[in-house]
Amino acid sequence: MFESVEEVQHRFREARYIATRRIATVVFLAARMGRPVLIEGPAGVGKTELAKTLTEMTSRPLIRLQCYEGLDEGKALYEWKYAKQLLYTQLLRERIGELIADAPSLPDAVAKIAGQEDAFFSFRFLSPRPLLSAILAEQPVVLLVDEIDKAEPEFEAFLLEVLSDFQVSVPELGTLKARHVPLVVLTSNNARELSDGLKRRCLHLFIDFPAPADELEIIRLKVPEIPSRLAEAVVNAVQKIRALDLRKAPSVSESLDWARSLVILNAKELDPALVESTLTLLVKHEKDIERVKGALDKVLAP
Amino acid sequence: MDERILDFIGDLRRAEMRISPSEAVDALAASAVVGLRDRETFKATLAATLVKEARDRATFDRLFDLYFLDLQALGEGLKKALGPEDPRVREMLDRLAAEEELDLDELTELMLRGEGSEMEMAIRSGGEHAGLERLMYFLQVGYFSRRISDRFDWSAVERDLEKILRMLETQGLDPGALARIRNYLELRLEAFRRMIRQHVERELERRAYRQGEKLTREVLADKPLFALSADEVAQMRTVVARLARKIKDALALRQRQEQKGRIDSRRTIRHSLQYGGIPMEVMLRRRHREKPKLVTICDVSDSVRNASRFMLQLVWSLQECFSRVRSYAFVSEIAEVTQAFNTYPVERAIEWALKAAPIDYHCRSDFGYAFSRFVRTELDSLDRKTTILVLGDARNNYNDPQAWTLRLLRERVKGIIWLNPEGQWGWGIGDSVMPLYAPSCDIVRECRTIGQLGEVVDNLVHRWWRRGR
Repeated sequence: MFESVEEVQHRFREARYIATRRIATVVFLAARMGRPVLIEGPAGVGKTELAKTLTEMTSRPLIRLQCYEGLDEGKALYEWKYAKQLLYTQLLRERIGELIADAPSLPDAVAKIAGQEDAFFSFRFLSPRPLLSAILAEQPVVLLVDEIDKAEPEFEAFLLEVLSDFQVSVPELGTLKARHVPLVVLTSNNARELSDGLKRRCLHLFIDFPAPADELEIIRLKVPEIPSRLAEAVVNAVQKIRALDLRKAPSVSESLDWARSLVILNAKELDPALVESTLTLLVKHEKDIERVKGALDKVLAP
Repeated sequence: MDERILDFIGDLRRAEMRISPSEAVDALAASAVVGLRDRETFKATLAATLVKEARDRATFDRLFDLYFLDLQALGEGLKKALGPEDPRVREMLDRLAAEEELDLDELTELMLRGEGSEMEMAIRSGGEHAGLERLMYFLQVGYFSRRISDRFDWSAVERDLEKILRMLETQGLDPGALARIRNYLELRLEAFRRMIRQHVERELERRAYRQGEKLTREVLADKPLFALSADEVAQMRTVVARLARKIKDALALRQRQEQKGRIDSRRTIRHSLQYGGIPMEVMLRRRHREKPKLVTICDVSDSVRNASRFMLQLVWSLQECFSRVRSYAFVSEIAEVTQAFNTYPVERAIEWALKAAPIDYHCRSDFGYAFSRFVRTELDSLDRKTTILVLGDARNNYNDPQAWTLRLLRERVKGIIWLNPEGQWGWGIGDSVMPLYAPSCDIVRECRTIGQLGEVVDNLVHRWWRRGR
């Protein structure tokens, strides 16, 4: 898929995603070694975005499994379409009657029906959920397991099983093995500790808030109409705000929102009044806003 | 190279990072895929396969830099240390080498022309022969530097130096130029010796990285709390934070083990609808582990202040293990300090509770009075889900112990746990009224060290509230 780390980095760039050397290396390794990538980091630094960009770069379809509390195998892997099975048996009642009409005894009739079991437990009646879809896919896919930390630990153990050899067994159908090893990306916001097993299995990538130079590049790339002086001022201010002791530091997506709004407001540079009036785009907690307002001259200092 | 990586993994493990054999195998395979051309890529590769916890990243970064030296940077550093090179000296030496049959020792060659990286490689191989793997303590640095230095044949260098200088002299070089050359060589020699020492120091840091911290932690865990110095109190905070994390991690593990339960009829029926009303799948009620409500009552008089400090830190770092935590501080008057924890970070809130809560810190402890005040104002807010955690030495200064207050509290709540920072031998002696309070408590524990404190809280989180349900 990729020839070198440089190529990965370059192609991320073409897809309008600024990937550091570390990110590119991990993606390259994942593609080469067929290993899942576990991405951890604060909210809004582009974890999910990375997976999406990856699908764009590789022109593979994206299959997404959003995790939440109470997610279980049925919703993640597959379910039998029981209602449909029931409906079919009802409709086919006569045919079934015919089929067993000439059976001399009850055991024979049962045997005859058992012979037809395959008709009812076939892919026709199976509704694949994200994990099974990824395994059955005709072409290679990118599988995004988003916010794995929201799911329960039991689900994690189950996921680990699927990810370790990319096969699942459906009792009625046998073992289904993936035709292509999908590129798997898991993201976590660290709401809880993930199990060691899962971490061991995955390549680990920690994405932190970007360095000033990277953030500047991201803003220029995503908000191309921004004047370059303003972009620098935005990055400077955002980095300083992050250094304050806040409940939730502004993420990259929030600094992008802020930059966009400043462009819309036709701002040429940052002045305290402007920052104060647009601050809510950047910092969301009441107390945090107070804090930033209090330290405004520090934040705006070059 | 594989051996170097494995060796490096050994270092990481010594620095208390958990790395499984399968991760080590991954690291080897991955580094074979990316190769070693680019240092950053190589580092990212090892980090992706070996570092699975954000908290281990600093350790990894430091040890990586110590182990996989950036030889290029090192060479640059050496150049800087030597000052601007004298091109004339170099030229002279080159000319000499070209003109005369100059048979120099390897080491002299290295001194004359070697780049920083070559010197480092020479030192490294010297170190391997000098038994550097036995290096453990700072005091050994001098010894091992000398041992490595002794592996080089300095007399040969001396001889060569004399030889060069003589040759130059016969060529009619002026004394100033001679002095310059001698000076140049001596500078380089000195730099080389310094490099040896730095190499040994780096090795030591690599081998013993964080070992000191671990040692301190082990010592502190068993040290009586009242005997801590201000420095140790600061260090202890990290110990307590670590303890809290350990308890929390273990909790996640145990939650996984509980999967059985009674049938959840509502969910079963709802699920059966898609099967035409037949309960194909029996849904079990998830056992929701009831989180305890916790009320901590801390004696904050001088004698037990440290114990209170760490108990508060531990309990508040484990907030998510409890459904609600409320904290009270007393010496004689009692006051709720919960609000501080809701507004400030834990550390600051504790300092506030220990020094600035609206109570008199300078009077003598009076447990009886504090409890009676507590009963009067807070009794109604307690229920059967609440556990009260009292921390105090029960030294009542011969005041009325009012033991009935504790009995009354016990009837209202799920349980009372008393932590006493004083050794068990002292209970009931002098003004200690522990024996009067003990019958109303479910658990009374001596809690003189952080180790004991950890045990009690761990018990509280994991076992206590499962009892009697």
